[in-house]
Amino acid sequence: MSGRRFLVLHLPRLTTDRIRQREPELRQAPIATWVSVGSRRQLAAVDAPGTGLHAEQALADAQAMHPGLVLRPAAPAADLAFLDRLALWALRFTPLAASDPPDSLVLGIAGASGLFGGEAALLARISGSLARGGVTAHAVIAGVADAAAVLARSGQHGRIVEPGGEAAAIACLPLATLRLPADCRAGLHRLGLQRIGDALRQPRAPLRRRFGQTLLDALDAVTGDRPRSLPPVRPPPEFIAVQDFLEPIITRPAIDHALDHLLEPLCSALVAAGQGARQVTLRAFRVDGDVQEITIGTGLPSRTPAHLRRLFADRLGELEPDLGFERITLQADVANAWSAAQPGMAAVIHYPRGHPQETAELLDRLLQRLPIWRLAACSSHWPERSVARASPFGPIAPHGPESRLAMPVLAMPVLAIPVRLLTRPVPLTVVAAAPNGPPLRLRLGGRLCQVAWADGPERIEPEWWRETPAQLGRDYYRVELETGVRLWVGRSRETWPGRPARWFLHGHLA
Amino acid sequence: MADAEMPGAATPETNQARTRQASLAALRAEVARLEQGAAARTAGVIPLCEPIDRMIPGHGLARAAVHEVLMADPGAAFGFCGLILARAAGLVAWIGADPDVWPQGLAAFGLSPAEMVIVGAKRSRDGLWAFEEVLRSRAVSAAVLVLDGPAPDLVAARRLQLAAEAGGGIGLLLLPDTDLVRPSAARTRWRIGAAPARRSGDPCWHLTLLRGSGGLPGQWTVRWDRESRSLEPVGVDPVGKQAAPSHPAASSGMMW
Repeated sequence: MSGRRFLVLHLPRLTTDRIRQREPELRQAPIATWVSVGSRRQLAAVDAPGTGLHAEQALADAQAMHPGLVLRPAAPAADLAFLDRLALWALRFTPLAASDPPDSLVLGIAGASGLFGGEAALLARISGSLARGGVTAHAVIAGVADAAAVLARSGQHGRIVEPGGEAAAIACLPLATLRLPADCRAGLHRLGLQRIGDALRQPRAPLRRRFGQTLLDALDAVTGDRPRSLPPVRPPPEFIAVQDFLEPIITRPAIDHALDHLLEPLCSALVAAGQGARQVTLRAFRVDGDVQEITIGTGLPSRTPAHLRRLFADRLGELEPDLGFERITLQADVANAWSAAQPGMAAVIHYPRGHPQETAELLDRLLQRLPIWRLAACSSHWPERSVARASPFGPIAPHGPESRLAMPVLAMPVLAIPVRLLTRPVPLTVVAAAPNGPPLRLRLGGRLCQVAWADGPERIEPEWWRETPAQLGRDYYRVELETGVRLWVGRSRETWPGRPARWFLHGHLA
Repeated sequence: MADAEMPGAATPETNQARTRQASLAALRAEVARLEQGAAARTAGVIPLCEPIDRMIPGHGLARAAVHEVLMADPGAAFGFCGLILARAAGLVAWIGADPDVWPQGLAAFGLSPAEMVIVGAKRSRDGLWAFEEVLRSRAVSAAVLVLDGPAPDLVAARRLQLAAEAGGGIGLLLLPDTDLVRPSAARTRWRIGAAPARRSGDPCWHLTLLRGSGGLPGQWTVRWDRESRSLEPVGVDPVGKQAAPSHPAASSGMMW
């Protein structure tokens, strides 16, 4: 074990420190977070000195005792992210930093402490930086990570254990500082084992029989016989390319040239990481301090310089160089794993036929400027709702998810479906033989047209689970005029018998 | 031709006429070859129906080209375009200011809604840009642009034609019906109107070929037969019959 040194940071108020950092106005206020346990709401993390509140207290009690208590719902995921961010921050002191959830950081400082003037100086510097940032931390240095962790959890801030002294340092610590399950802790307490040293002196076989492997794992880790392995955090790859210019650039050819220069390293970085960019931002820093941004998105991960250049080409005109740009950066904001698609395999993009790569690139170019979509059938018999816009990239069933329901949209023969459905139906003046009869004549575009034949009505009732009760049912007719023009004409059924029916033109038939 | 009937008695005059005709035909073929892009030569055509195909050089609507369609009746024109999109077989695009096409209805012509990408372009210049991008891509086999306003000018139309030749897809420009005949770079111009179907329920259309490079104008009434999934001519139009030459390419050039 010689030569390994660990600095463990225990962050007892991680949750509340995170909240205080995000909401600086709460710096002095008592804070607590709460969770729901069954039907009961109780406090989870409390930072309210002098109030006597504690974790696992009923929320109602706490509010009654201290109306001024600031309460937030617990967010374990946010806590974890905060811990990871702190681990990334700690990379400035050592290349080996790991987060040990829920509330500890482990830094391997064997080679790093000399750079900061010794272990004591490094410890003071780290805990000082954290304290300035508003994060409470107990820092301990030892040769065994878990030994340092129990010391930190028992609150011995600033302690530096000399190499070989770990066993003596932890022997008198209570067993509660080990992270053990509650029943295991209670069992040890029943046996009269209070301290870590007590447990270490017991024969291992009976301990294992009684408490299982968990206890032995924890004990072996704390003595350093079988240390736990923690994966060190790795900074997320940053796909960014930067170019500075001695002379500010103004002209479009110069900007194009700079873009070419930036795309090359960015794309090779993406290739090296096995990633493809989904969103790329170009930032141009003007001489006068102004920063202009252009963002493009792609439907499928891309790392082809030519494709990205074409997507940018349309947008570069938006830049206003004025006195010139002195720096241009290109960053892939969103990157996804590159799916190594074989050219010609249609699995990547969901079209039955065609060239997937070229299709994706074409759709990307169109999407930079215009909305594009496909229509997917839905299970609704109301004409406007029988299709919905779907992403051009996603999968789409040829005739919708419930083709039985959706395909014969209105239970009509296929040819009776209009080929054009007006977004805004046109009101019509119609002469009908009977109040509920088919139209005889209709006025279309200022001309009175004789109806040659009409087929219908197709009665459609409103979908009561969606509509307001005021929605009226409709009768649809397929109508052919004397001229041969075929129309899809609807009439909304009035609730009152006496009122005239309202007719409208809703579509054109082929 | 007289010489065709008496092959044994070739006089110097007929021989001369024959060589002149042959060299003319060769020149025409050369000009046609030069006029078309590389993709256009191998792209092929989309057949409509037999009597119409006879009137068009290549026996069908040429792929790798832009065709204009005047909407005498929107329903019939949409149906006609749907038929061509379906026969183009592949990914198709429909571009319009407020695209109100209903793919379910076009499914009757064999067009799968999953293969249709719809592009909304409020301004006509955006629509033309999208149309050109789509035509230039090899991924799309057919594209429709619905324009509310007048046809694009000659420069824009020529750009579209060149884009279609590069991509190999067929482009259909849907325009409002007008009697104003303007010059255009499109390969053919059609007017599509509805014809009375009289309860049969099958779509019937009046197809008018207003102009086409290398062909003659004609007018037909056709019916879409849903059983055989084919266009059937209804009756015989005198214009179409009279103007059927044995070799349409031989009488090219007069349509401009």
